[in-house]
Amino acid sequence: MTITLIPDQPESPTNRPPSMHRLRTWLRRPYARHILIWTVVIGFLLLPLAWLMLAAMNQTGAPASEIMKDIEQTVFVFTIVSIPITAFVFAVLLYSLVGWKQVSGDEPPMQDSPAIRTNRIGVILWTFVSSALAFFLVVWGLIELAQITANSYGTISADQQPGDNNSVIVNVTGQQWVWTFAYPQHDGIVSNVLYLPIDKPVYFNVTSKDVIHSFWLVELGVKIDANPGAITQTGVTPNKEGVFNLRCAELCGMHHAYMETEIRVVSQEVFDAWTREMGGMRTS
Amino acid sequence: MSVIHNVEVPQPTQHGAAGGIMRRLNFGTGLAGGIGLAAIFGIITSQFVPTGASSAVTFAPIEGDLVYLAVLLGWVIGFMAGMGAFIGPIRWVLGREETHEDAEYMAGKDMGKSRYWKYTTDHKVVGIQYFIVTLIVFGFGGTLAMLIRTELGVTWSEVFSPSFYNAIIGTHGIAMIIAMIIVISGPIGNFIVPIMIGARDMAFPRLNALSLWLLVAAVPCLISSLFLGGMRDGWSAYQPLIAQAPSGVLGYQITIIVFAISTGVASVNLMTTILTMRCKGMTWSRTPILVYGIFAASLMGLYAFPFYQYSQILSLSDRIFNTSFFNPLEGGSVWLYENLFWLLGHPEVYVILIPSMAIMMELIPVFMRKPLFSYNFAIAGIVGVVALSGLVWAHHMYMTGWAPAANYPFMLSTEMISIPVGFLVLVVIGTLWRGTAWTRLPLMAVYAVIFNKMIGGVTGVYLSDVPADQYFHGGMFVVAHFHYMLMGAGFFGAMGGIAFYFPKMTGRILDERLGSIGLWTTFIGFQITFGSMFVAGLQGQPRRVLQFDEQFNISNWISTIGAYIIGIGVLIFLAAIIFSWKSGVVASGNPWGSKSLEWQTPTPVPLDNFAVLPVVTERPYEYGVPDPLDAELEPAPEEQLESAGTR
Amino acid sequence: MGKSEIWSDWGIAVVKRFLVTFATVLAGIAVVAGVAVFNSAREQGPAAIVAVPDGTMVDTPKGKLPHATLALSVYPNSSASVPPPATPSAYETNWLSGQPFYDPSTTIQVPANSVITMTFTQYDSGGQIYNPYFARVHGSLDGTMTWNGKTVKGLKQNEVGHTFTVHQYDESSQEAMFLNVPLPMNKANAKTDKDGYPVDPQTVTITFVTGDAGMYVWNCEFPCGDLYQEFSGPMQTRGWMAGTFEVVA
Repeated sequence: MTITLIPDQPESPTNRPPSMHRLRTWLRRPYARHILIWTVVIGFLLLPLAWLMLAAMNQTGAPASEIMKDIEQTVFVFTIVSIPITAFVFAVLLYSLVGWKQVSGDEPPMQDSPAIRTNRIGVILWTFVSSALAFFLVVWGLIELAQITANSYGTISADQQPGDNNSVIVNVTGQQWVWTFAYPQHDGIVSNVLYLPIDKPVYFNVTSKDVIHSFWLVELGVKIDANPGAITQTGVTPNKEGVFNLRCAELCGMHHAYMETEIRVVSQEVFDAWTREMGGMRTS
Repeated sequence: MSVIHNVEVPQPTQHGAAGGIMRRLNFGTGLAGGIGLAAIFGIITSQFVPTGASSAVTFAPIEGDLVYLAVLLGWVIGFMAGMGAFIGPIRWVLGREETHEDAEYMAGKDMGKSRYWKYTTDHKVVGIQYFIVTLIVFGFGGTLAMLIRTELGVTWSEVFSPSFYNAIIGTHGIAMIIAMIIVISGPIGNFIVPIMIGARDMAFPRLNALSLWLLVAAVPCLISSLFLGGMRDGWSAYQPLIAQAPSGVLGYQITIIVFAISTGVASVNLMTTILTMRCKGMTWSRTPILVYGIFAASLMGLYAFPFYQYSQILSLSDRIFNTSFFNPLEGGSVWLYENLFWLLGHPEVYVILIPSMAIMMELIPVFMRKPLFSYNFAIAGIVGVVALSGLVWAHHMYMTGWAPAANYPFMLSTEMISIPVGFLVLVVIGTLWRGTAWTRLPLMAVYAVIFNKMIGGVTGVYLSDVPADQYFHGGMFVVAHFHYMLMGAGFFGAMGGIAFYFPKMTGRILDERLGSIGLWTTFIGFQITFGSMFVAGLQGQPRRVLQFDEQFNISNWISTIGAYIIGIGVLIFLAAIIFSWKSGVVASGNPWGSKSLEWQTPTPVPLDNFAVLPVVTERPYEYGVPDPLDAELEPAPEEQLESAGTR
Repeated sequence: MGKSEIWSDWGIAVVKRFLVTFATVLAGIAVVAGVAVFNSAREQGPAAIVAVPDGTMVDTPKGKLPHATLALSVYPNSSASVPPPATPSAYETNWLSGQPFYDPSTTIQVPANSVITMTFTQYDSGGQIYNPYFARVHGSLDGTMTWNGKTVKGLKQNEVGHTFTVHQYDESSQEAMFLNVPLPMNKANAKTDKDGYPVDPQTVTITFVTGDAGMYVWNCEFPCGDLYQEFSGPMQTRGWMAGTFEVVA
């Protein structure tokens, strides 16, 4: 569309049709209405995904901690937020293919389509909406990240970890292809199964004897790499009793697939009984 | 003798037949040279270089490492020498300048099919050669993919040993990454882009041949690694796990080092061509969007691949010379490797995606008979992606514990990249908007790409977010996500691009029915495979495992069935390519009625592309008629005045 | 051109198209299946060694259970009298030559819900283990093992030769199993026979109870291979220092 400037004709806002009128004109067009309807329909069809995703995540007993709850909340919100925009794109796709005009055949169509070069309102609206969405996601993510960092005691370094009775410190060692857990507050007992008391902060100091492993408490939503030559800190407060999965999430050699163990979140009494029972097995 | 403005330009004199020794060199001499020199290097190394004993704390080489390394180097050097890659520099040093006849011989003038087997400089020949190499690498990677899915589908026992499984997942990864990187920039970037910008050839024709034959030299290195124990890590080859791998890892490292040189050479060549050789009148605002896409991919490749190359050189040096860049027992850092690797790793994703997006934006105007919607916005999107591509790498390292405080800025930059990518999506759907769809195979591929790209993009948002990534990192969700991006967008985009440019490249039309069956079979299989892989990821299945808990069985069975469907679909598409190439319908010069320059030349394209170099007088994608609905929405001339920006 | 000619041209094109497709798909399937079958056959682990029931019943906390026995040896390297385990390829044969291995097999089958007594004969040397947890006995019937006739709960950290560690945990399909048997080292100055093996090898006997049927893996947790942390080579090859442990119903 070529636009010629007509300098001798001054701009006159009164000549402009009212914006509501323009919107109504636009909405009167069948394609505009169809796209809106299709977007809403596809959006509602996609909506169950938000719950289905959580159902898949919760299959083995998650969420078992505040962190996992935050993670699931994030997944849920992100799904809800991305559904309108996905539905809109899918609606345009589908509509342009089956709702609008179509030709087939070996020869290029004789009739060209309207030369829509750009649409200022559309472009501005899209930029604004997509930036706003991205901004929302970033802000949401930063807040949630701060929250899970706080919940996993990620800002507390190893020498500041309290050694008192109100928390548990676990030194996690990954090696090809077994996890071992040492409890320095409990006579340094060592176990191959991760026992945790419920509702008590747990501090993990994670390291590796050989290659990189990743310490993943699946239903508790904790993941941190176990690096050789370095100790990484994380933590969690489990709030649900049960048997959960601990898997290695970083390829670590032949038996990587078998480098898993169980997490037993138990009541304080059971935990105390277990530590007493293990106490005699102190390693040198 | 050539005469310019009646001034005689002295030309070097021709000694003997045109081409000189290059007349005797072809793929056969390349193979002979490669195998010969590999044997010589191998024998010398095994006889005269002592092998040190390995010990606990060092990365010292094991017996066979040095011999294998020497064989690989001998193969690459000998192959390149046998192909004639060093003839040009040697002649230059000896003062024997290349004559016009030599150059024409090198470009394969009047040589028939044998030019495809030689160190030919013509960009059209190189494009076809790239296409064939891409198909071979895809075939190799695809076979491994089928093996992986077979192993994961057979949940009741192990088909392969875990070590071999680890080797095939890594080799599948890197083979497919290489194939995806070259699939558009190689065949289409080399064959089409110079014609598209109205040039007679690439800026550096001999570098063009060099980049291709380096790639050809690298492929056997990669395949050979599987026979020497393989690289038993993912394609990321993290240290120090890779230090425990058998000699096969050297095949991977040499492949990467050679491939990075090939990519660098190709990038420089493409960028120079695009910068300097656009024809008269092709200003930046008249340059087709695919040219921008290829330029952006080359630019990102040019800065990203050196990181990869260095990481592999250091890794190799740790193994061969017992240095300790990455050995934590001797003060090295495993995080250093991860940083170097992902400094390539993420830009490389856009090296794959931007050309596929660009080719979509190139196709839609032709099949919708509309101008590209917001051409400037598309360029802004590409520029935005390039600008941010180098600032997001550490989102692959959220969970490494490397620098928890760095998660905040990297989450910010990663989520910001959705804005320029959103621009590209807007351009695509804006161009589809109210266009009359000419539903041919290339357009159908575009629809498939946008569908996949949306799913890949949305799932990428979860992964860019640290809290959600804390659950998904290292799981099947990630695998499904990047397959939606790299295969769903990249591979389907390549299918569309190949189908679109097939008539120009081969002179025949890609069989519509067979191609469509292949495309849609692949598409359906793809949704089944990776849709159900998302479920496995949500359930908590880690990636790169060959055995897993029973709760993941169902989603893995479905994935495996889907993967076999993909395999059949891709084979049908391959059959369409083979069949059409041999006996398809002969294409006219411009079967799609496109307005781009590359379709204005006759098919088959003559050696110099254009009889007379074209002059561009209008913007690309000048399709379309005035919008009849415009009058309704903008009734008064005052409205036009406003949109001209006088406000 | 007559109508029938057009039809036959069309028909030939269709048939040709079909044949090309069919041949391509068939060739693709053949390549994948061929590679899969070839590698799967090549990668098969060694033949299984089965625990033999000896007809006696033993009292355990789970009640009276049948008893079965199994014997394994660990050699520091192969020799004329002890051939090395089979390897998938010539490359591996070369790479692993001179490395320690379990004999006669690493594919182990034991009966479910039984008491198993495993006897290990250890011919290799050893040293310091880097995780002391694996110098202790875990998962045996009474928390002990018998070392050269003495009952012990574990070894000193610096006298371990190898370990036999079965590890796999609760899944929906099978119950957890964790068994760790530290095998003591032979002293460097021990008297050796003509093949270089100690004349008086270390003997360890351990008794444990199996649950329901399941498939487990085991490996050695005392690094004794080559390359980084001595955890490569035999440590990551089934048939040498790692294998499968199947509880058969």
